[in-house]
Order: sequence, then structure tokens, then C-alpha cells
Amino acid sequence: MRENGKMKNDYKVKTENITVDYGEKRALHGINLNISSNEVTSLIGPSGCGKSTFIRCINRMNDLIDGCKVNGKILIDNEDINNQNMDVVELRAKVGMVFQKPNPFPKSIFDNVAYGPRIHGTVKNKEELENMVRKSLKRAGLWNEVHDRLDASGLSLSGGQQQRLCIARAIAVNPDILLMDEPCSALDPIATAVIEELINELKERYTIMIVTHSMQQAARLSQKTAYFHLGEMIEFGDTSSIFTNPKHEMTEAYISGKIG
Amino acid sequence: MSIINIYMIIIMLLSISSYFYGRNFIKNKTSTSTEKQHSKDTYHGAFISLYLILPSIIFLSLWIVISPNIIDELLTIKIIYIFGQLGIDELKILKSQVIALSNGVLIAGNLSEEVNYISDYYLYIQTVSKKIYIILSCLGSAAAFLYARKKITIRFNARFNVEVIVKSIMILASLIAILTTVGIILSLVVETIRFFEIINIADFLFGLKWSPQIALRADQVANEGLFGAVPLFAGTLMITVIAMVVAVPIGLMTAVYLSEYASNTLRSIAKPALEILAGIPTVVYGFFAALTVAPFLRDKGADIGLTLSSESALAAGLVMGIMIIPLISSLSDDVINAVPQSLREGSAALGSTKSETVKKVILPAALPGIVSAILLAVSRAIGETMIVVMAAGVAANLTANPFESVTAVTVQIVVLLVGDQEFDSAKTLAAFALGFTLFIITLGLNILSIYIIRKYREQYD
Ligand SMILES: Nc1ncnc2c1ncn2[C@@H]1O[C@H](COP(=O)(O)OP(=O)(O)OP(=O)(O)O)[C@@H](O)[C@H]1O
Ligand SMILES: [Mg+2]
Repeated sequence: MRENGKMKNDYKVKTENITVDYGEKRALHGINLNISSNEVTSLIGPSGCGKSTFIRCINRMNDLIDGCKVNGKILIDNEDINNQNMDVVELRAKVGMVFQKPNPFPKSIFDNVAYGPRIHGTVKNKEELENMVRKSLKRAGLWNEVHDRLDASGLSLSGGQQQRLCIARAIAVNPDILLMDEPCSALDPIATAVIEELINELKERYTIMIVTHSMQQAARLSQKTAYFHLGEMIEFGDTSSIFTNPKHEMTEAYISGKIG
Repeated sequence: MSIINIYMIIIMLLSISSYFYGRNFIKNKTSTSTEKQHSKDTYHGAFISLYLILPSIIFLSLWIVISPNIIDELLTIKIIYIFGQLGIDELKILKSQVIALSNGVLIAGNLSEEVNYISDYYLYIQTVSKKIYIILSCLGSAAAFLYARKKITIRFNARFNVEVIVKSIMILASLIAILTTVGIILSLVVETIRFFEIINIADFLFGLKWSPQIALRADQVANEGLFGAVPLFAGTLMITVIAMVVAVPIGLMTAVYLSEYASNTLRSIAKPALEILAGIPTVVYGFFAALTVAPFLRDKGADIGLTLSSESALAAGLVMGIMIIPLISSLSDDVINAVPQSLREGSAALGSTKSETVKKVILPAALPGIVSAILLAVSRAIGETMIVVMAAGVAANLTANPFESVTAVTVQIVVLLVGDQEFDSAKTLAAFALGFTLFIITLGLNILSIYIIRKYREQYD
């Protein structure tokens, strides 16, 4: 599944003409975006332009919102995820997500991370589960802060710690694709560096989409960048070329800080 | 219309007009001055209007409390003056004759000269007392009005003063509620203590036989075992347990279904429907239980070889459970809806099914609220009377068999108090003892549920 050397047009995620409506209001107007494996793709754009809406299409999270309608074709590993036969639960196990606002469960830190492995039965015994939890917390850079209070409530953590807990929770399921909606917006520079390092490491195995408001972060982390504006994708391409040589004037204006 | 009513209407009108008076008064003052006015015109108006009406209202409440006592005292003195010393009973009868006569309930011709005379006297002192009240409150209100008018100056902080008055009015209102509650509890406690002077407390709490009727005969008062409350509490307990067994699972699953699975259209139909269920008077449930459910159960029981009496704990419990379903489902629905959507999304994004999310995230997060909803429902079931009277019976059987007829605490309170009886008899006092015990139990449950809510409230915010 994850072998390298795919042909150039064999994308991990393909989206064709995606439109999203919240009731009467159209939030996305026909997005076409293809994402390759083992790459980090960052989505940038001013607030309210539809970045969250777009990545929430990839794991069909918008199904949960009353009155939200997604049209268009989304293929993951060449499989249409809006197909009737698609098992949404399996899809979401494969496409992990870290939300814009940290949302730990009102359970212990341990149980938060163990939640995914437990429901999917990916671990055989208690020891494996504990290893899994430890490994995930370490990779999310939270282990040192919480290893002596795994029984404390996840809600007793600070905002930034909660966000890293949510990252640990997501990677404990071992997804193929990881969607991250502004994962560092609540973090200090040190924790941000830990997460960026994690993302760099994860991209060896995962395909990552990250929404960010920080140009530097997008430039540092991602191979591809997409610029959204008012529900349209204005420009998409290699991060280096977008940042040094944007083709569209709106992109240039945004990157140089004139809009947004 | 009584003269007091007329007076109150006049005072209110005066108070309203003094509001406008106060507003204009301060306007005029400010217009001729260079100083900056402290409070807005409306506060000056409100200030003077409140000052005008308050003395009348305070005197009115005092008058309502005090004047009947004084009038009664005067009446007693007059009766004794005319008839000489009388026994308590004779005095009572004379008094009620006098009062009935002055209210026009009795006709003067049938009664003696003296009674007619005292009745006139009674009317006279009543009129005098009203006049005294009106004169006093006129004076009070006028004085307060003048005082307030004098206080109003440009720099006067009317805003703060109005705040103080409004605050005191609200304190007074809440005091009334609290004092009433305290009064009820005190009377319960006092009568309960009197009951335990007649009946041993251990016999009441642990006695296995309840038959208060026999105790009516003087020679058998305090006959041991007659006021054993165990059968009543056992009956209440059994019916409550049956009701909860019905109501908790159904109510909870309804709530989960409505808040997590149902479409908007279905929800908009089902929720009002459940509320209708909650609005049915309990007496209707009662005859539904007695006339439909109980016979149905008896017949079906007979088919499979069970003997059910025509009044049974089962019938009462089942119907009471149905009655309580909306209570549990709507309270639980509220707490389930209060669980943030982000938790549902978080759980779904990890690849869990809806039922896994409900079981592992939503119910645990909503648990404190659900538990307290259940405790409230238990209080409700314990206090319910109608259904039990009609469907479970009044016979105080001590039995663990839900197919037999049992009785409940509330039902026995009703039974004890209907019909004529001496207020001091053990039978009547027993009602207070039962009521008090019931009160303690429901109070305990309510405190427990408040405690649970408090303890887990801060969970998500
Ligand atoms: N649940 C919703 N119901 C209705 N409209 C919504 C909903 N969520 C988003 N929208 C609308 O869709 C548009 C895109 O929102 P979205 O959250 O995708 O923006 P965003 O790019 O993620 O912004 P931000 O950077 O502030 O997170 C906005 O105009 C928003 O008002
Ligand atoms: Mg967003």
C-alpha cells in the first residue's frame, strides 16, 4: 500500500470539483487538488476561506454537520470515499484528524490515547497498549510532561498540552493520512518545534495535510502549498515556487502580508 | 369593594403620578442650575414613587398580621363582659355565631339579643381598624413623600438609592419563600414529635403492621404495632423500583436516540409528543392503570397460571414508569445535548461508530447529569399518590410479591386525613410523621443529585 515509486499521476488523494454548501451558503466552489503520498501539503489562506471545510471533506467529517452538503469526487487510493459502499468508520481510522480546537475526552490522559487502539482492537494485551500509549505520547512530545500523571484528566492539561494530547491520540490509531487543522496555533515555539519535527518524521510513512496561518511554518514543513481565498483554490504548487515566485497576484499579496 | 381596596388603588395611582412628578421636579431644578445632574431623571421619579408607596404596603402587611389578633381579643373581652365567664367550647360557638352573623351567613332573627349586639360591635371594631390603618398609612406615605422630595437635589445619587430599595424588595420576596418553607418544615417536625410522644419511634420505623383505624377507639390508642410504617415504605419502594426499571432504560434510550440518531423532522415531532405525555394529569394515568392495565395484567397472568390481584404493585409501577419516561428522557436529552459537539467529532475522527461514541464518550461525559435526572425521577415516583391509590390499593400488605396489592406512604397519608377526625389523635399525627419521613427521603435524594451535579460540573467548559 505504501510502497514508493508510484507513477507521478498516481496520487494518494484526488479531489475533483469539490463544492460544499452549508445550507444556502456555499463555502467551497469547485476545488481540484491532488496530493501525493509521503508529502506534506499545507493549506494557507485568510480566515474563513474554507481551509477547515476542505480538509474535513477528506475524512467525511462534514457528514456530522446538519445541513452541510459535499459534492464532487474524492478518491483516496483510487477509491471514491463518497461511494455508498464506503465504510466511513474505516475511512476515518485510515484518515486521522487533529482539530483546530483541542478536544480531549473527559477521560484520563492514558484513556485518551488508548481510545483508538481499544476500539479498533489493534493491541492484543495491556502491555502492548501501554507501549502504544507511551510511544504516541513521546512522538507528540508530551511524554516528559505527563508520564507521572497518566491518570489525570485530559482536561487538566494546558491548551497546548491538550493539543499535543490530541495529536498523540490521532497517531495512536496509526493512520495513513493525517489531517491537521492549525495544530500549532495554541503552542509555544518549543512545542511547535517538537510538532514540526514529528511532522517531518511522520511524512516518511504518512501523507499529511496541514492548515496553518504561519507562512514560515508552511515554508519550513511542506513540499506542496495550496492558497485558498473565499472558497476558491487560487494557486497550488511546490512550496518553494509558491513562496518565491507566486503566479497569482492574490497569493503574492497574501504571502507578503497585504491580505488576511 | 372594601375601603382598603379603594385606598390601595388610590395609593398606586398616586405613586405612578409621583414618578412623573419626581422627573419634572428634578428637570426644573437642573434647568435653572449650572451643576451637572448626578442620576438620570427616571431614577429620581422612581425614587420618589417608591418612597410614596412603601409605607402603605409595609403597614398593610403589618395590619393583615396584627389586626385579626387584636379584633379577636376585643371580641373575647366583650363576650365575657356580657355573658360572664364561659367554657372554651361555649366561647368558640358564640364567636363563630357572631362572625357568621356579621358576614350575613346567619340571619339575625334566629339569634338572641346579645349576639346581635356583639355582632354590631364586631363590625364596628373592624371598621375602626380599617380606618386606623388608612390614617396611619396616609401619614406614613405623605411623610415619606415629603422626605424623598426634600432629598432630591441635582447631586443626589438617586440611582444608588433606588438600587437599595429594589434590592430590599427582592430580599423580602425571597424571605417570604424561605420562611414559608421553614414554617412548613417546622410544623411537620412539631407534629411528628407529638406523634412520637404517643407512639414509640422504633415501633413506627420498624413495626411490621400498619392498621391505624383500630387506634381510633380510645382504649386502643398506642396499641403496639398498629403504626408500623415498614409495609408502607416497602410498598413505596417496590412501586418505585418497578417504575424505575421501566422508565430508566426506556427514557435513557429515547434521549440517546432523539439527540444522537433521530433526524431533525423526527425530533421536532417526538419531543413535543413526549412533552404531551408529561402533561397528562396523574389521575388520568391512575384510571388508565386501574381500568386498563391492571385487568389486562390479571387476565394475561391468569393465562400463564399466575394469580394477580386486581390491584397490584406491578400495574401501579408500570404506569408510573410510563409517566416518568418523559421526565427522564427530557432531562437526559438536555445533558446529552450539553456534551460538546467537538467530542463527538473527536471520537468519530478516530474511527468509532456512533454507538461506540455514545457508549464511551457521550454517556460517561453526561453521566452526572443523567444520575441526577434519575434521582429527581425517583423523588417524583416516591411522592406520587394518585396512581398508587387507584392501581395498587390501600391495603397495607407487607409482601415482596409485585402481583399483590400494596400501599404507599403517600396513599396512607391521604387515607389518614380524609374524613372527620380529632386533630390530636395519633391517627392524624401519623400523617405528619409519614410526611416528615418522606420529606427527609426526597430531601436526601435531591441533595445527593445536586451534589453530583456540582462535583462533575466543571468537566468541560
Ligand atoms: N458549521 C458551519 N455552518 C455554517 N457555515 C459554516 C460552518 N463552518 C464553516 N462555515 C462557513 O464556511 C466558511 C469557511 O469556513 P472554514 O471554517 O472552512 O474557514 P477556515 O479557512 O478554516 O478559517 P479559519 O482560518 O478561521 O479556521 C466560512 O465562511 C464559515 O462561515
Ligand atoms: Mg479553520
